[in-house]
Amino acid sequence: MKTNGGHEPVFCTVVPPHVLDKLAQHEDPALAGPARRTLERDALERTHRRLTTVIGAPAVAAPAGAEAGKPHRTVYDAGHGTALPGRKVRGEGDKPGKDATVNRAYAGLGATFELFLKAYERDSIDGNGLPLDATVHYDREYNNAFWNGEQMVFGDGDGEIFLDFTIPVDVIGHELAHGVTQYTANLTYFGQPGALNESMSDVFGALIKQYTLGQTAAEADWLIGAGLLAPRVTGVALRSMKAPGTAYDDDVLGKDPQPATMDDYVRTGRDNGGVHINSGIPNHAFYLAATELGGHAWERAGQIWYDVLTGGELKEKASFGDFAKLTVAAARARYNEGEELRAVLKAWEQVGVRTV
Amino acid sequence: MRIQVRRTGGFAGIERFAEVETSGRADAQEWHALAEQAVADGRGTPPIGVPDGFSYQITVNDRTVYCSDPRLTEEQRKLISRVLKEGA
Repeated sequence: MKTNGGHEPVFCTVVPPHVLDKLAQHEDPALAGPARRTLERDALERTHRRLTTVIGAPAVAAPAGAEAGKPHRTVYDAGHGTALPGRKVRGEGDKPGKDATVNRAYAGLGATFELFLKAYERDSIDGNGLPLDATVHYDREYNNAFWNGEQMVFGDGDGEIFLDFTIPVDVIGHELAHGVTQYTANLTYFGQPGALNESMSDVFGALIKQYTLGQTAAEADWLIGAGLLAPRVTGVALRSMKAPGTAYDDDVLGKDPQPATMDDYVRTGRDNGGVHINSGIPNHAFYLAATELGGHAWERAGQIWYDVLTGGELKEKASFGDFAKLTVAAARARYNEGEELRAVLKAWEQVGVRTV
Repeated sequence: MRIQVRRTGGFAGIERFAEVETSGRADAQEWHALAEQAVADGRGTPPIGVPDGFSYQITVNDRTVYCSDPRLTEEQRKLISRVLKEGA
């Protein structure tokens, strides 16, 4: 942090979370100790209530006369404002327009729909033909993309650190996968279940990219957000499932904080209890299982993970250990005592998550 | 008046922090009005967020409030954008 006489906003860029944690202890006594724990618990409970409410909401019906097993996509343009969904700019079956962002979002929705249908026989996000809506050009210089419980929202990035969030197809898949999780296991977006929720989105986001490119586990880069960082940033992506913690190391952005194993698990109240940090551990377990098995990762490793996510056994507040045990059971149920089971057991052992 | 904004979460999970000291600024009154309204509309504990949505902590002098995307008031959004010099 620096000051400059108070005549201009003091801009501290992006500070690594561990540094900020330390700073917060000095600057903000309200966050310290018991108060902090209370805040975390409150946030957990509210998130849980909200997600339950979302799940309980009546499902949005597919358009009348719509064919089952086909996507129903609509892309909207927020026109750099923040009102959702914005102006409709491309509907299902419409020809590509001049806006590359709109075309990428449309194609990304299609790629995501395709993987879930072809690999797992799932008809859209809810398994029942849910229309897929996305809004692009949200706000100005907006460095984010999110799932608001009903649709995807994509910013254009500021051009300094981030480019357009529709560029990586795995980012589009990541956001839609949050929808799949919401309609299935509904993992609570806090702490370990939150990190599992994030990891589900990274796993299926990566699989959508690999499926689109026809890559095997050995050929894939296992990066999340490759192509999203502006040229001046020292980094290849936002996360690496192959080598968590190595995606970027930049003077402005800081260093990728993801751990690969439980030895480096990060305890923090920030980021909903480190959901984007500790997701590195289950992400790496998936990478290890998929590469051990070889071939197309969406076929066997992906099937096991999908079986757990949608099988009804995974609790909303599942820990990494709960999830790992279910993958072992799912591998056995689908493939018996074969190499799939051995690959899954070995993967969790390597990241330090117990399966017994 | 010291105005601080801390943003956490988001797809990237990368934090940002920035602050503005309004004393001596020609537009201090405008900052004060904006900050007071943004804080008045904030919550005492972190509100409900959405997956990958940004969460914000706004501190004006010694008072800290919380808000989250996409449910920001106009004043909160304007204040956050101005302080972080980025979209919110």
